[in-house]
Amino acid sequence: MESELQFAIEIKQLTKVYDGKVNALDGVDLTVKAAGIFALLGPNGSGKTTLMRVLTTQFRPTAGVARAFGYDVVKDDAMVRKIIGYVPQEMSVWTDITGYENLLIYAKIYGVPSSRRTKSIWDALQSMGLEDVAGGAVKKYSGGMIRRLEIACALLIKPKILFLDEPTLGLDPSARKAVWQSLEMFKKEYGTTVFFNTHYMDEADQYSDEVAIINRGKIVKSGTAGELKSSLHSEVIKFTLANHGVDFKHTFSSVADAKNVDAKNSHLKNANLKNADRNNADRNNADRNNADPKNADPKSRLRLLETIKALDFVDDVFIHDLNLDVVVEDGDVALPIIIEVLRGQGIGLERISVTKPSLDDVFLKYAGMRHPKDKGGNAA
Amino acid sequence: MALNDSLREMFAMIELEMRRLRHDRTEIYTRAVQPILWLAVYGTVMSHVRDIPTNGIPYIDYITPGVLLQSTIFVSVFYGLTIVWERETGILKRLLVAPASRYATVIGRAIASGVRAVVQALIIFPVAILLGVKFIPNPLYIIAAFLMLFMISGGFAALSIFVASLMKTRERFMGIGQALIMPLFFASNALYPISLMPPFLQSIASINPLTYAVDAVRGLMISGDVANVPADFAAVIVFDILIFAVASISFRKIIE
Repeated sequence: MESELQFAIEIKQLTKVYDGKVNALDGVDLTVKAAGIFALLGPNGSGKTTLMRVLTTQFRPTAGVARAFGYDVVKDDAMVRKIIGYVPQEMSVWTDITGYENLLIYAKIYGVPSSRRTKSIWDALQSMGLEDVAGGAVKKYSGGMIRRLEIACALLIKPKILFLDEPTLGLDPSARKAVWQSLEMFKKEYGTTVFFNTHYMDEADQYSDEVAIINRGKIVKSGTAGELKSSLHSEVIKFTLANHGVDFKHTFSSVADAKNVDAKNSHLKNANLKNADRNNADRNNADRNNADPKNADPKSRLRLLETIKALDFVDDVFIHDLNLDVVVEDGDVALPIIIEVLRGQGIGLERISVTKPSLDDVFLKYAGMRHPKDKGGNAA
Repeated sequence: MALNDSLREMFAMIELEMRRLRHDRTEIYTRAVQPILWLAVYGTVMSHVRDIPTNGIPYIDYITPGVLLQSTIFVSVFYGLTIVWERETGILKRLLVAPASRYATVIGRAIASGVRAVVQALIIFPVAILLGVKFIPNPLYIIAAFLMLFMISGGFAALSIFVASLMKTRERFMGIGQALIMPLFFASNALYPISLMPPFLQSIASINPLTYAVDAVRGLMISGDVANVPADFAAVIVFDILIFAVASISFRKIIE
């Protein structure tokens, strides 16, 4: 029993067929940990809205089982509705009354006892930062305020699971940030599980504890954002190699020359001229760097490539001019070893940077293929 | 418990309608224009045609119950538009995910529309008095007449919600609404006695719930002949129960 309750949501082989032909959900298996933030990613028509609507008891699945804190979404649907909050993608407040009145009506619909009603409403307003505008008509609200009011309506009953369908669609970056900050605060205070659908990879990356990618009605990948990214085996470590001792001196001497020139011209006290001289110096520097690899021994470059490629954690190596790119699964682990190898070969380094794949890359890999068959899977 | 949830939702829906009305009363006033024209223009002109058998009641008085009912039923028949709008936004999805049962949403909205309709009638009522219509000065009769107005409007609002759950878009809904309202009005005893109609229309009028509502309101407000009123109420109650059931069952369809 204990282990079961670690999961807010458990889904087994969930299938939803529309009109006997379109498989909007095609055997979804998924678990969502309690008290976390879970992001469901997927292209348009992948089934993410359908999944949310089955979980919120709006649709019955064609086959399979889904439970929210142990309650079956079909058999115990009335119980499920008592513990969930839901904010659909489309606007879900009345615009011709005030924000406070919207909360009041929803509080009555949800059955918040009258003794606690006023406090619940003000708590929800406060959670979403709307106290100051509560008395204003909703038609005068901005998009971000309307979205926060919609979420506030769902928070009235302090739900155990909060379902958000594209919660920040169409909001500007600062409004998006405000929505998420409020949600994180609320989650921290009440331990609510948040389940949201999104197209925004950065949002899933930044705010979610777990991510799953759905495509063509199936979960194709799930885990933490970090796990998903490292599963691509494509962190790139970029080294800019230093030239050997002599070249370093050259480099330094050109800077020194520039300084001398500066000193000589200092009586002019002309800042612009100084800058111009610096630029000259930089250009000298660049010229040398570019010139040197041409003189480098091609055999030694080849040897370097082979040596690094031979390391068992290295997926691929590229070298061009003074840049060495190494593709690995985990850059943080690989980096010290590669540095060791380069040192062993007497190669100095000027710069190192590690490029990690973004969630966009993950999304494109697992859900990037569009299938013409998929059309209309998300039909309302 | 479930009944409690449902009753609560119904009251919340009525409260919502009242609050919306309080914020914007324009619609109530603009919608009063047409019925007032029916009384002031059509009623006045037609009262010179003395061929319509009204049992000695002035023609304008005769049609007042029909015009009152027509104006409130207009509100109800187009109430489905609100539901279509709420379907296009996310409000309906959200209501369906609330703890209350689905029939509470339908009945609550229908009753709310009935309340709105009564407010509408209250605007027209004093205008009719100013136009010289003589109402029976019995408060109980007037209250009973408004109860009938409320019941029939709620029923037609449920019918409208039922149509909305099938039509789903604004344009299709408007088409059906327009097609429904005028025949409903003309195939009833609102403007003339049924006995003047050809037999075919008579049979339609006899199954038109509006006929029974007009008969009751006319008896209670104008003629004082209340012999048929219990039967009229019974007919409208049957209509309400049937249409509430049908609308509640089909309501699920609206979000699919």
